[in-house]
Amino acid sequence: MGRRRDARLGLKQGNAVTALVEGIFQALVAGLLIGAIYGIMCVGLGLIFGVMRVINFAQGDFMMLGMYAAFYCFTAFGVGAVFGTTWGPFVSILAAGPILALVGYVVHRLLISRVSGTRTASLEGEGHHAQLVLTLGIALVLQNGGLMAFGSVLASIRTPLSSSAWELGPFLDMSVFVNKARGIDALMAVAIMAGLALLISRSRLGKQLRAAADNSVAATYMGIDVDRAHRIAFALGTGITAIAGGLLATNYPFHPFVGVDYVIVMYAGVVLGGMGSIVGAFWGGMTIGLVQQMSTLILPTQLQNAAIFVVFLLIVFFRPQGFFGRNVERT
Amino acid sequence: MLTIDALSAGYSAVPVLKGVSIRVQAGQFVAIVGPNGAGKTTLFKSISGIVTPSAGSITFEGADLLALPPSRRPHLGIAHVPEGRQVFPSLSVMENLEMGAVTEAGRRDWRANIERIFEWLPVLAERRDQLAGTLSGGQQQMLAIGRGLASSPKLLMLDEPSMGLSPAIADFIFERLIDIRKQSGLTILLVEQRVAEALESADHGYVLEAGRVVLEGNNQSLRADDRVRQAYLGM
Amino acid sequence: MKLFTLKPSVPVLLFAAVFAAVSLSITNSYYQLMMTLVLVWAVFGLSWNLLSGYTGLISFGHAAFFGIGAYTTVLGQIYFDITPWLLIPMGALFGGLAGLLVGFPTFRLQGHYFALAMLAYPLAILYVFEWLGFQEVSLPIKRESPIAYMQFADGRVYTLLALVLLVGTALLTQYIERSRFGRALLAIKQNAAAAEAAGINTFAWKLRAITLSGAIASGIGAFYAIVLLVVTPQSVFGMLVSAQALTVAMFGGIGTVWGPIIGAVILIPLAEVLQAGLGSRLPGIQGVIFGLAIIAVVLIAPEGLFWKIRDVVRKRRPHAPVVVEAAETAGPVGAAAPAFERTPATGEVILEVRGLSRSFSGLNAVQEVSFQLQRNAILGIIGPNGAGKTTLFNLLNGFLRPDAGTVWLDGRDMTGRKPHELCEAGIGRTFQVMRPFLRMSVADNVIVGAFVRAKTDQEARQHAAAAIERVGLAAIADRLAAELTTKELRLMELARALASQPKVLLLDETLAGLGSQEAEEVVGVIRRLAAEGVTIAIIEHTMQTMVKLVDRFLVLDHGAVLVEGLPESVTRDPRVIEAYLGKKWAGHADH
Repeated sequence: MGRRRDARLGLKQGNAVTALVEGIFQALVAGLLIGAIYGIMCVGLGLIFGVMRVINFAQGDFMMLGMYAAFYCFTAFGVGAVFGTTWGPFVSILAAGPILALVGYVVHRLLISRVSGTRTASLEGEGHHAQLVLTLGIALVLQNGGLMAFGSVLASIRTPLSSSAWELGPFLDMSVFVNKARGIDALMAVAIMAGLALLISRSRLGKQLRAAADNSVAATYMGIDVDRAHRIAFALGTGITAIAGGLLATNYPFHPFVGVDYVIVMYAGVVLGGMGSIVGAFWGGMTIGLVQQMSTLILPTQLQNAAIFVVFLLIVFFRPQGFFGRNVERT
Repeated sequence: MLTIDALSAGYSAVPVLKGVSIRVQAGQFVAIVGPNGAGKTTLFKSISGIVTPSAGSITFEGADLLALPPSRRPHLGIAHVPEGRQVFPSLSVMENLEMGAVTEAGRRDWRANIERIFEWLPVLAERRDQLAGTLSGGQQQMLAIGRGLASSPKLLMLDEPSMGLSPAIADFIFERLIDIRKQSGLTILLVEQRVAEALESADHGYVLEAGRVVLEGNNQSLRADDRVRQAYLGM
Repeated sequence: MKLFTLKPSVPVLLFAAVFAAVSLSITNSYYQLMMTLVLVWAVFGLSWNLLSGYTGLISFGHAAFFGIGAYTTVLGQIYFDITPWLLIPMGALFGGLAGLLVGFPTFRLQGHYFALAMLAYPLAILYVFEWLGFQEVSLPIKRESPIAYMQFADGRVYTLLALVLLVGTALLTQYIERSRFGRALLAIKQNAAAAEAAGINTFAWKLRAITLSGAIASGIGAFYAIVLLVVTPQSVFGMLVSAQALTVAMFGGIGTVWGPIIGAVILIPLAEVLQAGLGSRLPGIQGVIFGLAIIAVVLIAPEGLFWKIRDVVRKRRPHAPVVVEAAETAGPVGAAAPAFERTPATGEVILEVRGLSRSFSGLNAVQEVSFQLQRNAILGIIGPNGAGKTTLFNLLNGFLRPDAGTVWLDGRDMTGRKPHELCEAGIGRTFQVMRPFLRMSVADNVIVGAFVRAKTDQEARQHAAAAIERVGLAAIADRLAAELTTKELRLMELARALASQPKVLLLDETLAGLGSQEAEEVVGVIRRLAAEGVTIAIIEHTMQTMVKLVDRFLVLDHGAVLVEGLPESVTRDPRVIEAYLGKKWAGHADH
């Protein structure tokens, strides 16, 4: 009698443990998948900060524009008709990259370049404020302009893959499900990151961007057009974040103010990665994705964002140099 | 080759250069000496375009430099080796040299240049894959000079190459410079606080004080000048 | 501030009177609400200006304070039935506390990190309030006692109440501007390091500023909730709210009481009217207007309308004759100086440094430096560029903490103290790179250094005047710093350091950028100061000046003391010749 009860209890405990472990693995996988997208989202901001030393407050809103660009490419500009509902969204998302890169290029040329780069090389502190405040103004215009242009109705770029999953396992009675759309999103994100890392480390352009980031005055002495380098970095960063936004939109509905929800993810990721380090920003974003998904195990969903804020503030206070950044010695 | 005429420049309200005129002929080694704060670095920054002069003109081989954006000027053949070295710390030694060769001429002559640079400054070859930020001060100075040479310049501008270096290393760098000049026939414009060394190697010198040229002349006449002997050579 | 030669409070009261007259004549309740909102945002802008406008630390998170005040009134009335007359001061109190709590950790951050952290606070609170279920909270209607609950049927009462708040805030701001509080904040904005070296406890003043700023923002947030009756997290903690404070202040002009007022008077009605007219078709028009206003201001008049207009007005007016007159009297500064006879050093040690070391990521900038400075002596510190001379000064005045070693001033161990504490203890210094307040007069520039010893503002003015007299700038004390020559600026720097009545004065390349004649004059002033009993350590490169000026030399090379001794012996020392003067010095000397 007593023994049988113990056995049943053991079995029950076993189930509970299995469910818990399963839950942890599920959250881990979800964290890695979303983390890859957060990763390139952060890389976009990190690239701009790394090269220009400008914090772009409007980065989340450029991402929002990227979501809508992908959305309209898919629904209105025929990408959906040509590539079908399954793959059309992904093609549209990739298309949003260059579109937003162009937007970024123009915004830099018309506005940002007037308070950054060689023009303000001698201004020091005051120049920084002008840049911060200017991007804040751009953010307000984009958010509220977006509200005028797109309305406040939630939109999304769903594919049939968004609601189907691969099952991994079962291993030891446990299986983990991977949403197909998110799986593809993550693969695309990693591919883009790899491509960018190669561009930055190997190409002539990448080296010039790094030189301009290291020391813009010395780069000018070399004959590098620093303003052009900044413009390219700004366009690249905007385009990459836009793609990240599109990828998110396959699973999350969005609206014109969606950027505000993600700016903190970006800042946290970039600071975590060590401001200025591009590869670091990717790992920072990845970490934030993991923290966010793991926190669902213990925190109510509304507090997820608050949790990220707290993590962010803790990083800023205790380790502002980040965790992943390559610490090049100051000379 | 380089003509600076009645140049005035400064930061916000404080004027630093007050009507400076300087001439550098092709093949010449010209030194500009003077105390801290005399405006030597501001003069170089004006040539490179980092500081915008309030008056005066700068012409390089007949071209009006002030009409050109700063990033175009190196492409004319002006290499500026800045004060405090300013290498790109997170780039490798080789990548730093590649940045020197951004100019058309630098790209064209890349192979020949890099060979000669490694010959003159072998330490750069040894450490070609090391991050520039991890080099010692003297090595960074050599890298900065190598980086300047990689652009195939017609005019090499050196801003205090001895700054912060021990005398032995500074002497070594001066000797290298003299060798390089002998072998390449490069035109050199040097700003230096080590007045004796600078005046010894240069053909022609200018003494800058409080933003004005107070004295100029050839090597012999300057070193014989009482004011220079008193103020800078301590006699 | 010369635009108003009257008492500065007069224009504020005048503005209030006009505003009251206009609003009393308005009967339309919608326009009346707009009048109230103009004042609300003007006060909020003033609170932002108090911190960011004067210190230059731009806050992107003032909504945190605003929201705390708003929720204090709403929740206080719902749950505890407290009257708004009490809740507004309570909100202000909470806001002040929040400011203190935010400021304490956040002021350790600089530049980008400060901005990012400030942005994070209101957004984090916003999510928490949403989670707590305060999505939309309305004030309970209390028809039975409108006065006790500030629920007036006549909108004009709100406008008048808001006007009282505005006048109070504006007068407080003006008072601060003129007091040592305001000077301290301005000094921080210009150059925090120099302010600290001039004896200003920058951290304490910044904390005071954010506490006061938070209290005002929170108080006006509390009032806002009463006017609108409904509070949502987005409407009080949202990014647009923080942006609004910054926009009205920057648009109107930062660092002046008029900026936020001008900004609010122009922008709020504009946005409201557009919102009312087009809001149904173009729902985001208000945000777009604010965004565009920010962009326009940054690109066209980065300091705001007030300063732009003021600069234009100043240019129109013919130059004051004072300037011309003063230019002629500026000559005889150091004329009498060279003849000074100095009492020799007494042999009593005033500053003693033992085994001082400091390294930066493996590089030994200063290593094992020991020396004594005798009262009344002039010590010359020489060495090649990069030898650690300025780093040594930074260790002596507290900018850097030594890794090892001790600093004794007048027999007291002062190792590792903060710069303002060391300034108070009697160490004054000047800087290689000058950062004067160009828009302020010589006297106003110098007074910043005087507060550390002065109990009252009056006393500080006297100290400043005395210091200006000692360097010989008395004739041009009223001139703007922007109109001075390099030599006069160097002397002004010297006066600023002197105003703290230092025992030891550290001079970092005070002669840099001067012609030999000008340098002679400044040297004359330095000699005179030494004769008056100030002990001096000076970094300088020009040897012929130094040899004549100093009692002893300290030669640094690679961070370590190479030689210490009398000028005659030091200049002949082979090691010094090798390291600093150069082989050529010796070679020529033999000729």
